[in-house]
Amino acid sequence: MDAHRVVDAVWKMESARIVAGLARMAGDVGLAEELAQDAVLAALEQWPEAGVPDNPGAWLMAVAKRRAVDHLRREERRDRGQERLAHDLATRPDDGERDVDDVVDALDGEVGDDVLRLMFVSCHPVLSTEARVALTLRLIGGLRTDEIARAFLVSESAVAQRIVRAKRALADAHVPFEVPAGPERAARLSSVLEVIYLVFNEGYAATAGDDLMRPSLCLEALRLGRVLAELTSDEAEVHGLVALMELQQSRSAARTGPSGEPVVLHEQNRGRWDPLLIRRGFAALLRARQAGGPLGPYVLQAAIAACHARAATPEETDWPQIAALYEALVRVLPTPVVQLNRAVALAMAYGPRAGLTLVDTLTGEPALTGYHLLPAVRGDLLARLGRHDEALAEFERAASLTRNSAERAVLLRRAATCAAKAGEAEKAEEAEQEATEAGPAEGDVTLGRAMGLFLARPDLSADTVRSYNQTLTRLCRHLGEDAPIRDVTSHRVAEVFAAAWGTAAAATWNRHRAALRSFATWAAERGWAAAGLAAPLDRRPEPRPRIRPIDRSRLESLWKRPDIPLRERTLWLLLYESAAPAEWALSLNVEDLDLPGMRGEVKARGHWLRWQSGTAALLPLLVGDRRRGPLFLADRRPGPGRMPATADLCPHTGRGRLSYERAEYLFKRATGDLDPEGGGSTLHRLRHSRLAHLGEEGWSARMLMSLSGHASARTLHGFVRVPRPADTVA
Amino acid sequence: MRFLMTTKGGSRTPDAAMMAEMGAFIEEMTKAGVLLATGGLEPGGLRMISSGGEITVTDGPFTEAKEAIVSFALIEARSREEAVELARRFWKIVGDGESAIQQVFGPEDGPEDGPGAGPR
Repeated sequence: MDAHRVVDAVWKMESARIVAGLARMAGDVGLAEELAQDAVLAALEQWPEAGVPDNPGAWLMAVAKRRAVDHLRREERRDRGQERLAHDLATRPDDGERDVDDVVDALDGEVGDDVLRLMFVSCHPVLSTEARVALTLRLIGGLRTDEIARAFLVSESAVAQRIVRAKRALADAHVPFEVPAGPERAARLSSVLEVIYLVFNEGYAATAGDDLMRPSLCLEALRLGRVLAELTSDEAEVHGLVALMELQQSRSAARTGPSGEPVVLHEQNRGRWDPLLIRRGFAALLRARQAGGPLGPYVLQAAIAACHARAATPEETDWPQIAALYEALVRVLPTPVVQLNRAVALAMAYGPRAGLTLVDTLTGEPALTGYHLLPAVRGDLLARLGRHDEALAEFERAASLTRNSAERAVLLRRAATCAAKAGEAEKAEEAEQEATEAGPAEGDVTLGRAMGLFLARPDLSADTVRSYNQTLTRLCRHLGEDAPIRDVTSHRVAEVFAAAWGTAAAATWNRHRAALRSFATWAAERGWAAAGLAAPLDRRPEPRPRIRPIDRSRLESLWKRPDIPLRERTLWLLLYESAAPAEWALSLNVEDLDLPGMRGEVKARGHWLRWQSGTAALLPLLVGDRRRGPLFLADRRPGPGRMPATADLCPHTGRGRLSYERAEYLFKRATGDLDPEGGGSTLHRLRHSRLAHLGEEGWSARMLMSLSGHASARTLHGFVRVPRPADTVA
Repeated sequence: MRFLMTTKGGSRTPDAAMMAEMGAFIEEMTKAGVLLATGGLEPGGLRMISSGGEITVTDGPFTEAKEAIVSFALIEARSREEAVELARRFWKIVGDGESAIQQVFGPEDGPEDGPGAGPR
């Protein structure tokens, strides 16, 4: 084997420990690195002749130390740390390599701490971000200057300069070789995490044709993260970052298509995701949870990545959970980009309209000007709403903004699809008009043709079309595309259903049933098919975890408790009386209230939240002199690092909006004694208690829906006495 | 780069001290993210041959199995040399024997990145 390559491999494995050990003794990272480099040169001279020593790491360390002693004697410097090093080494019997193991053993206990110190110093804030990255890769990753240069697409001399300047800056600033304590530790740790994630992202951004060094940055970052996680096992965010990187890296094989084009998450072949890395990611996330503490940005992002990793197919993705995690992420990382991602999650969870509402609030964000993903996302949502003309314009704008040519191609293709769809929709409308006008004369409409016309309706979103298409394609396959729809009987349809989905989950069965019912109604309206084609198919009950209501008497006593502060009392009563989701209540602003009308507008939803006399009596006290800003305020002003958006800040007091987590915690704490398990009740349960109580009083599903904002009557089953779809206000 | 290392042999009797050393080594490599999977294998095992559309399953053939340790390790290393260095550390613990180290190709390794093509 080429000795150069062997030395390089050993150096990469050992550099962090060697440089760290030397730096602790010398008190100077730059000097330590030079000494270590001397040892590498010695290895390059000696190993080809003498062979690779038994313990190459210890060999390098011993040589570096001998150089250190020489160096110190020559320089005769009086630095305290170096005096100690000179003394330390000079008094040790130096009888060649036999004591090498002892030397290293003596250090072993501290090596881990030294590596951690080295990481903190390499990412010190006196250095520019580029310098931090270069120094970390150089000292801890053991990368050569030319490797760093190739990875970051810059010249070798530029990297060498960066490293020289960084070492000088550390020496000039007298940065001590230590891990800071107290509040500084948290800030410095987040700088280390930032550097590691930056390295990872640089590798992630590599495209086909790039130097192979670039994608390998991902693995380098993973290594750094794993080592850091071992050294700081009680830091949730460190494990969170490792989990995030493992999970993102698990998708690396599926991220690009055969010609190097990017493949978006939901179109990736999940069979190519690396189960080994997914498992490592889950394990790291678990360690993050065990470390405890509030959920930080890396843990939350990892939890989102885990939601994707858990879904065997895109359809199984738990979008409501992801939307909730983004909601939490927005609180700790309130950037427009996170908001944009949240909008995507909302759209997936609750439909394109929900996402579009949020995206539309972001179009004015200066930070997103020129960011191609904003129009790309907006275009996607518009397309799913069937607004193809607008979508077309957005995709074209996105294509003009991206710098990645593969991505541009994808966007232009989507724009072209929109143009075609916009045309098709017009044609379909015409065709439908024709078909309708032709009326019953069209006695021989085939199943295939009817299906095509049905799916071309402009009012169906892309998702709906995809879902309906699954059902109808299966039907066509069994009954024949050319079969006249008139001859299709409900009996035959039921047979196909039983064969295809008879044993599927209730939700699957119900989805296909809904698709068929929609199609059957549409076809019957045109006089093409017999009415009641879907009639024999029964809706199947879907298991749904029941939430037990809280007893009325217990709630009554809760309202009366004297120790409950005004804010909590108002919020809880409001939630109970309005039966609205807690997020809605918390999003209320003072200026949105209509106190005499006993209602407030949830702007983001366009929904009015209505309360009753209990809340009405408390609200004026809570509002006081305030005229604008969040209705429910946090206890304290936000810290400088956690500044929320202006809309979430009270202009009168400077305090932020009360968070869901905090509100939930307060309610749980107050209701701990109501709960047999002692854990307290959730705000969600409070809301559902109201619905249950109203249901007992005979409210209909429709009345409850209009009160509570539940989107579907199905989620209200169990609250109303007569859960029939035809339930009407008596 | 991923490598699959399969080993046969191991002259040292697996006593408590060796097990402890091996355990520490495996733990360290796992923590560093180098060792992705590892395990001992039954010597011999089943053999399957597909020939002309026909599949034959036989026991063995067994070589001189005796007390030979047969095991595998899937590792993530930066270079072939690093893989060799790791294997060297393994043999320092278990004694004499032989191993095969083969790169596991992923989608990112086109045929041009295969063995023999890079600078050696």
